[in-house]
Parts: sequence; C-alpha cells; structure tokens
Amino acid sequence: MSEKNWIEVGSTDSIEEEDLIRFDHQDKTFCVYKLTDGFYATDGICTHEAVHLEDGLVMDDEIECPMHQGIFNIKSGEALSPPACEDLKTYPVKVDNDKIFIKID
Amino acid sequence: MKKNIIILGGGQAGIYAAREIRKNDTESNIKILGEENLLPYERPPLSKDFLLDKKNEQDLYFHSSEVLKNENIDFENILITKVDFEHKKLFSKNEDVYTYDTLLISTGSDNKRLSLDNNLNDDVYYLRNLEEAKTIKEKVLNKNKITIIGGGFIGLEIASSLSQLQKKVTVIEISNQLMGRIIPKQIADLVQSTHIDHGNKIILNKQIDKITKKNDNFEILLNDNSLIETDFVIAGIGSTPSVKLFENTNLKLDNGIVTNQFCETSIKNVYAAGDVSNFYHPLYERNMRLESYQHAQNHGICAGKNIAGVKTEYTSIPWMWSDQFNLNLQLTGICDEYDEIIERGNDINKGVIYFFLKNNKIRGACGVGIIGKVGRDIRITSKLTEKDTIVDKQILSDQNLKLNKLIQK
Ligand SMILES: Cc1cc2nc3c(=O)[nH]c(=O)nc-3n(C[C@H](O)[C@H](O)[C@H](O)COP(=O)(O)OP(=O)(O)OC[C@H]3O[C@@H](n4cnc5c(N)ncnc54)[C@H](O)[C@@H]3O)c2cc1C
Ligand code: FES
Repeated sequence: MSEKNWIEVGSTDSIEEEDLIRFDHQDKTFCVYKLTDGFYATDGICTHEAVHLEDGLVMDDEIECPMHQGIFNIKSGEALSPPACEDLKTYPVKVDNDKIFIKID
Repeated sequence: MKKNIIILGGGQAGIYAAREIRKNDTESNIKILGEENLLPYERPPLSKDFLLDKKNEQDLYFHSSEVLKNENIDFENILITKVDFEHKKLFSKNEDVYTYDTLLISTGSDNKRLSLDNNLNDDVYYLRNLEEAKTIKEKVLNKNKITIIGGGFIGLEIASSLSQLQKKVTVIEISNQLMGRIIPKQIADLVQSTHIDHGNKIILNKQIDKITKKNDNFEILLNDNSLIETDFVIAGIGSTPSVKLFENTNLKLDNGIVTNQFCETSIKNVYAAGDVSNFYHPLYERNMRLESYQHAQNHGICAGKNIAGVKTEYTSIPWMWSDQFNLNLQLTGICDEYDEIIERGNDINKGVIYFFLKNNKIRGACGVGIIGKVGRDIRITSKLTEKDTIVDKQILSDQNLKLNKLIQK
C-alpha cells in the first residue's frame, strides 16, 4: 500500500465509542466510526437519497440513516434495510500514534 | 403441508409477505394478484423524486422479476371483483376463478374523491399510483398556476415538488392547520412557513364551493366568496381503506379490516396487512390503522411469518416520514394519548421535536428539521417507547444532551 493515500482524520479521542464523525477531504465526504473493536470508515452520503449519515444512529455494527431509516453494516457497507438497497462504500482505516488515518483510493 | 396461498393486492405489504412466506415455507404455491400491471413498487417517491425527475420508474421497484422467479413467487396482473369466503374463491370480472387455502388481503387504500356536481371529474387529478404520477408529471409541463385541494402530507409533498419545478402553487385546506390535528400545531406552522418562503400560497379554514371550467382553465369559488384562477387542479383529501370488495361479506370491517396482533381477520385462514388493516397493537392495547412505508413492510413480514406457521405478534412502533423542500418530518408512536408534552429545540436548522408522554413514558413524538436533523432522536424515541422506559425529562428537553443516554442497555 502506498503511503500517500493514507489521509489523517484526527486523534483517536475525537470520536466517542459507538459514534462517528464526519470527515471531508477535497470534494469527498466520509463518516469515520469508533466501534467497540476499532475504527471504520464509509462514504458519508446515504446511497438512497443524498443525505449525510453524520446525523445517523450508530448501534452495534450498524449505521442507520436519519432520513428514512435505511440501515448499513459499517464494516462491510452492506445495505441491510430498505429503503436503502445499494451498498455503502467502505475504506481501510489504521491508527498510528493515536491518530486515525483512512485510505482513500 | 403444501398450500395454495393467495395474496390479494400487489403492493408493499403483499411483496414483503410473499418473500417472508417463502423464507419459511419452500413448498406452498404463492401467488400475488395485483390490479396494477406492474411489479410491487415504492409509492413515497411518486409525490417527490419521481415528479422531480430525480427517480425514474425503474428506481421504484422493490425487486426485479428475477428475484420473484428465483423464489418461485407468482405475480398475476388481475383485478379481483368478487370474493366468496365460504368456498375460498376469488373471481375476476371475466369470471376467472382463484381458489386458496390461505388468503392475505393487502389491497391498500383508495383516495377520497371530491363530490363535484358538474362534469369535472376528469379535470381533477389524484395521486396514489404510478400511472397517476406519470399523468400529473406530463400534464403540469405546460401549466403554470396549480391548485392543490387538501393540505395533508401527499398534497404538501406535491406542492413542494411542483414549486421546485417553478410552478405557482396554491394549497387550500379546510381546517385551521396543515397535516391534520395529529401533527402539533407548532410543527405544522413551521412547515407552512417553509412553503410560504418558497413562494407557495397556503389558504387555511376555507372550503371549495364550486369549481367552474373556463376554456382551458378553472375558477375555484371558496366559501368566503373569494375566487382562485388556476390552470390545473389536484386533490389530496385523504384516503380510505380499500375494502369495497368485502362490504357484503361476513369479514369484520371497522375503519379497514379488523385484525388481531397476528394479522388474523375474523375469518379463519384469512389475513390482512398494510394500509387496509385496522390492527390490534399489544403495546398500545388498542386497534389502529396506519398508512406508512415502514408499517406496510413490517406488517407484511409479520403476516408472512404467521401464514407460514411462525406465530409472531406485531409490536412494531409506528413510524412515518414526509419530505417537503429541504425539510424531513418524522412521526413515531401515537401522539393522541398523553398527559404531558415536552419540546426539544426551537430552531428548524437543528430540528424541533415534540414528545407526548403519559405517566412519564413516551407514547409518541413528532419532529421536523432540515433533512437529517431529527431522525436519530426520533429513532431513539421509538426504542424508548418500545422498552416502555421512564424518561428523564431534563434530557428530553435539552438539545445539548444526547438522547442515547436514555437507552438502558
Ligand atoms: C403518493 C404517496 C406518497 C407516500 N409517501 C410516503 C412517505 O413519504 N412516507 C411513508 O411512510 N409513507 C408514504 N406513503 C404511504 C405508503 O406508500 C403506503 O402506506 C404503502 O404503500 C401501503 O402499502 P400496502 O401494501 O398496504 O398498499 P399499496 O402499496 O397501496 O398496495 C395495494 C395494491 O393492491 C392493489 N389492489 C387493490 N384492490 C385490488 C383488487 N381488488 N384486485 C387486485 N389488486 C388490488 C392496488 O392496485 C395496489 O397495487 C405514500 C403513499 C402515497 C400514495
Ligand atoms: S436517504 Fe438514507 S434511507 Fe433514504
């Protein structure tokens, strides 16, 4: 993996457990999550209609869209509940020196 | 045991029931009979993204014909015109006969129609299905002034979409607030202001006395003698459960088909789900009828389980949404049984929610905000209602305190 695509998101204590933060980079927007077993990242915008998932509810390994309750698995991006039917893109995450990085392709 | 299962009504509840039956019963024949010559599709976009051309017909289908084929679910395009419960038979106009062992009725609801005296019936448009959405979309293309009779959810959503298509929209509502009394007046007023800010005209407390056709246009006379000139009229004045077919049978009807918490009707082996059913909700200990996307899905799934022999109570907390302009409104639980109301927030940009409490527990809540701003709190509210939690009112009323603190794990 080339180092240059790893983008710093922020420090590990910037996200509460079972919660997420929004991260914008250039013209793209992401959600970065802290779950009980680590950090994860997905696209920021719901695949159903264009609403940001930053205000969604994180429960266990799932993010629920605040607009129509479409549900996605945070780790795989899989759309689990209608009206969402298209999967959400996920991104690799690493932690280095208490800092979170995501790999954007 | 292999059975003939028929699902009457090929909408949302019907398709979810069919797939759930198949999950639990690989043997039985499952046949959906649908009046619309279309596979089951989502209705919410009809008044919103479909009118706005952000979604097309292909985007609306729940599943492709491949999925139905793979799961061995048969779909037949036919209008059923007669039912014989005693002999377990359904008939079409041409006397095609369908015999069932188990029947699920998921016929949805019909729009109420205005009673117009002169030959105007073809000049007033209604919206319930894809055909009607297509017609409205095409007809408004060369119209400018549009009048919508009825300020309920569907009327207001059409008003929002047509305004975004640069039409001059007037909404006429008979009562003193939009969206009916179930919505807190404060929230109705916030939605009304948004419509006005976008150029829509909202007329409350007025009735239509007469509609007159003038060449290609119309004059609408209101009960205060004011006149509205308009190029096109759409009515959204509410709906009724689709039960005409059962009126002279022994199926128990009362504001829809009466069902228990297992989706069972008064007749053995006959079930009902979705908009058409007035079902018993064990958490609220009363019957209710809902017209919502989430309910049609979950109720269909519950009926499917029960039909397949997996006895399941329906305990889903009611939830629905409406999208108008950049607003998302959500309603959960029931908002008509309370001894206390608590307000959370007062800025539409951050979301405003009214909680309805009884004995310190939430019975329901209604919120509105710029898209994305009320969903999480409303979802947590549904969970608190489901768990019958006694809530800390300080947290409910203070938008700076997160509601998920109230969920006991
Ligand atoms: C324009 C519009 C916008 C909406 N927006 C929202 C929203 O934003 N949020 C929300 O929560 N809900 C919304 N809803 C409500 C939601 O779509 C309905 O509650 C849901 O579709 C009900 O599902 P159902 O299966 O009970 O009925 P339906 O989906 O209506 O399906 C019933 C089917 O049965 C067929 N049928 C009836 N009688 C017969 C017969 N005799 N023979 C054969 N077939 C028959 C009908 O043609 C129809 O296809 C909206 C509804 C409409 C119309
Ligand atoms: S916008 Fe996310 S479910 Fe509709």
